[in-house]
Amino acid sequence: MTMLADRPLPEITPLTEPFWAAARERRLVMQRCDDCKAYRFPPEVGCYACSSMNSAWEPVSGRATLYTWTAAYPPLLPYFAERAPWPIAVVQLDEGPRLTTNIVDVPYEEYVFGMALQADFQQLDDEVALVVFRRAD
Amino acid sequence: MSDGNALIRDKTAIAGIGTTEYVRDIGRTEQETSLEVIHEALADAGLAATDVDAIFKVETPGEASISELAVARNLGLPNLRAWGGTDYGGGAACGPIVHAVMAIATGMASVAVAFRARNRGSGTRPWSKTGARVGSNMAFESPYGLVGPVQQLALVARRYMHEFGVTSEQFAQVSVTQRAHAARNPRAFFRDPITVEDVLASRMIADPLHLLDCSLETDGACAIIITSAERARDLKQMPVFISGASQGMGPRHYMMNGLMYKDDPFDMPPAYAAKDVYACAGMGPGDIDVAQFYDVFSPMVLWQLEAYGFCKPGEAGPFVEEGRIDWPAGELPVNTHGGSLSEAYVHGFNHVLEGVRQLRGTSTCQVENAEVALVAAAAVVPTSALILRR
Repeated sequence: MTMLADRPLPEITPLTEPFWAAARERRLVMQRCDDCKAYRFPPEVGCYACSSMNSAWEPVSGRATLYTWTAAYPPLLPYFAERAPWPIAVVQLDEGPRLTTNIVDVPYEEYVFGMALQADFQQLDDEVALVVFRRAD
Repeated sequence: MSDGNALIRDKTAIAGIGTTEYVRDIGRTEQETSLEVIHEALADAGLAATDVDAIFKVETPGEASISELAVARNLGLPNLRAWGGTDYGGGAACGPIVHAVMAIATGMASVAVAFRARNRGSGTRPWSKTGARVGSNMAFESPYGLVGPVQQLALVARRYMHEFGVTSEQFAQVSVTQRAHAARNPRAFFRDPITVEDVLASRMIADPLHLLDCSLETDGACAIIITSAERARDLKQMPVFISGASQGMGPRHYMMNGLMYKDDPFDMPPAYAAKDVYACAGMGPGDIDVAQFYDVFSPMVLWQLEAYGFCKPGEAGPFVEEGRIDWPAGELPVNTHGGSLSEAYVHGFNHVLEGVRQLRGTSTCQVENAEVALVAAAAVVPTSALILRR
């Protein structure tokens, strides 16, 4: 396991703990409205679509397509500056929600819109596993 | 908006403006420059500091702002009847003025100051203070390296290019046009002409955005004095009436990366501010003679051209490429001072000043017989807009 101590890490709150707890177990879960079934990502107390405050966490497939991307050049935070250009991706899950992420096994030059991806997990420390994506088989 | 229009339309006016020089390091605190520009704007209007009874300012997430307490004390104000900060940085380029209009049109206050002072040339970039732990929606973004506004905007820009066939050359043309405007403006930080090739050859900052697609980082401050239309008519300057004033957020918004979470990322806040500002003024895009659009990155100008109804979604690229935002030949000269890309980065307050100059007839790229100016704040954050007329 690679320890990446100088990378900004998520603050884990009672609201977001189920997401990060599942990621530690290499599972991707999404908060979903109990009333209108809209997914809430990032997690929220109330529903943007129906105002409900009821929700549950549900597993999702982890299948996604590439929605957009960039490569970041300095000036950047030291961790990313040392590794620049640093690719950043936004992917759309088959279930609908979009996530900011990194694609771990595709050279930047080969990124294409709609490219099929599959969720994977990058354990950074005992508490944090980031959800990353790799090319779908 | 419906009932509010009669209360607001043309009931208030901008009576005075003030600005510092725009430089990399101004050598004074933001509190000092704030007071300087407020005194200058009051002198421009022919008012005394003791006439001021309202102060409205800009807030930016992650940054401390100058308190109204400090401004009121240091101006020697006998009383303050209305005050408040408007959040979301570049989205608040017009917001404090919108609040001033509300306070004055309703009779709660009589003379309001709206100001912005920011040392972004000599000071730190807000994102550079990112901590070891990051909360809110950014907990799901910063760990992946999505930390700064330029990267957030680059993600939207790339998707925009994909969906509408817009090109990097068309983004670059915005910078080129505005630099040509800045060349005539002695206040502008950058005045040397550039070409599309220069923009594309400048170093990459966040693919597809190059250095010359990005705003300046300068120190500076601007202040604006707002009073009733009636009182403004008796003051030193020709009044610039505020015909329309609006704010808009739209649904399910976060800060800059929020667009990525929406079903349609191009369902942007300015479309909401546009509808209301036109309704408030009783005008449409065809009434606008000149526009000042918030331009922290070049694609933002394209999105505002679409949101404010000057062209259809996806058509702003060709619109810009055809020279239609150029002064003097274009049908809608945009950012005639050079904007954030060439004049200065003062969170869009310098754009309001340029709107006022166009109607006073004192711009360095003066649109002939300009009667109505649109000023709009940032496209990808909760925003604000003004329609000014002489």
